[in-house]
Formats: sequence, C-alpha cells, structure tokens
Amino acid sequence: MTSHADHELVAKAVSSQDTAAFGELVRRHQSHVRNFLRKLSGDVTAADDLAQDCFMHAWDKLHTFTGRGSFIGWLLKVAYTTFLQSKRKSKRYMEILEQVGHVTETESRSHTMQADEVTDLDRFLAVLSEEERAVMVMSYACGLSHREISEATSMPVGTVKSVIFRGKEKIRTSFDIKDHQHG
Amino acid sequence: MTSKIINMAERLKDNEDRLLESIFTSAPIADDGFSAMIEKKVRRQLWVRRMVLPVATLVGALVSFKPLAGLVTAITSLTSLLPQELLNAPQELVPQLPMIVLGGMLLATCLVGLRALED
Repeated sequence: MTSHADHELVAKAVSSQDTAAFGELVRRHQSHVRNFLRKLSGDVTAADDLAQDCFMHAWDKLHTFTGRGSFIGWLLKVAYTTFLQSKRKSKRYMEILEQVGHVTETESRSHTMQADEVTDLDRFLAVLSEEERAVMVMSYACGLSHREISEATSMPVGTVKSVIFRGKEKIRTSFDIKDHQHG
Repeated sequence: MTSKIINMAERLKDNEDRLLESIFTSAPIADDGFSAMIEKKVRRQLWVRRMVLPVATLVGALVSFKPLAGLVTAITSLTSLLPQELLNAPQELVPQLPMIVLGGMLLATCLVGLRALED
C-alpha cells in the first residue's frame, strides 16, 4: 500500500470505499495538515480537533478530487475551509456569550499562549493577518507552489504573490531578519 | 512554456526565502494513533450510512402497516360499491392489463434492488 501514489489511493478509496487506502493517505499527510492547522490556530488541541474534522470532510468530498493538482494541496484546501468554518462558528458563539455577558477571563484568553512557549515562528505569525498566515505557511512550511496555494485558497495567483510579498514585508519591518540569520 | 518560466521563477529563491523556509518548517508530528482513529471513524460512518436506509425502510414499513391495511380495506369496500361494468372496462379495453401491471411492478422492484446493491 505504501508504494502506491496518492492519486491511486484516492481512486481506490473512492471506487471501492476502501477505508484502508484512505487510512494510508491520512498516515502520509497527517503531519502536514496538523502542522498547518497548529500554525494557523496557535492552539495544539484545537488544531488536532480541526484536523480530525478536516479528514472526515476529506473522506466525504474525496470524489471531488480531480487529480489535477497535488493531493496535499487539495487536502490543505479542505483544512483551510474547515478552519474558516470553525472560526466563523466560534465567532458567532462568542458574540452570543458576549450578548448575555458570559465571557469569562479564561475563555477570552483561551487562544493566547504561555510566554515560555512562544517561538520565533509564533512571533512572525503574530504580525501576519489570518490570510497572510495561511498563505505563508502553505508556501514556506508545506512547500506548495503559488498555483497550488491559489487553488487551495481560491485566490488568483497574482493575489497569492502579493499576499506573500506583503507578509514578508511585515516580517521584515517587524523583525531584523538579517540579525536573526547571523544570530 | 510560460508555466515553466513561472515554475523556474518560483524556484529562484533568495536567502530570505530560504531563511523563512527554515523558520516555518517544523519537525514532523508523530502519528500516535491519529490515522488509526480517523480510519476507525470513517469505517463507523460508512457502516452507519449503510444501515440507515434499510433500518428507516423497516421502521417506515412497521409504522405504516396499520394505516395501509386500513386503506386497502377501505378501497376494497369502495370497489364493491362501484358497478361491475365500470371495473371491467379497463380490462376489456386492454386485455393484457394485469400482465402489464405485474411486469411494471417487477421492473420497479428490480431497479430498486439494483440501486440498493450499487449503494
């Protein structure tokens, strides 16, 4: 099973509802998806829950994978959509809680990290907008091409390039990258 | 050709890109039973989906059995009120009517069965 290409495993999983083939796909890509969602959400537990939802959505929508791009590109698209949907839901939930005055201090700080856990990457990600974070992580952490990011985020390739440029510019102005490089 | 040029341009990374790559790249996350859990969830979902239709059909049949039996009785008593000539009229016009109805019902059953097998 491990020698099969992603496309072959997808075909097998779709045509005969082969859960073992899908399991192999999960084994291959879980690290990328979980890393992507951890960087995007900044919360390990929430990211792993989202990764589970993402793979369940991927199973449901597997037949929509045309094989035109890479499977990991398609999977990150599902992960990004899952993340945005969950964020929309939790935003609505927080709005309702705020309306009834039930936001506790713990809840409002649930997404912040402990000071000793903050890494250089966390500092970089903190200056970026959500969209920039997603695009930068897809590009620099997952190694997706501009075209693949464009398909994953439903943005034109030109917009992807300008988002990356803007993200780099923000990091450059917020941190002395050259110092980081030498230190 | 254009796409090749774009790909080449993408590959021409400067030092800054390489530095960002090294910072953004994290160590791979260990599976720790994650994929096995997803596989199990998928298998369970598949089983539930396969069971939903037959179970719903069975429950529907059980629920509707009594009202359907009442309906059949009512139709039978209604037909006894109709004149015999009126009941025989369709059969006189199309003598093969019972065979056609039976054939249609068999065809419908086969189609439903095939669809269920496919699912």
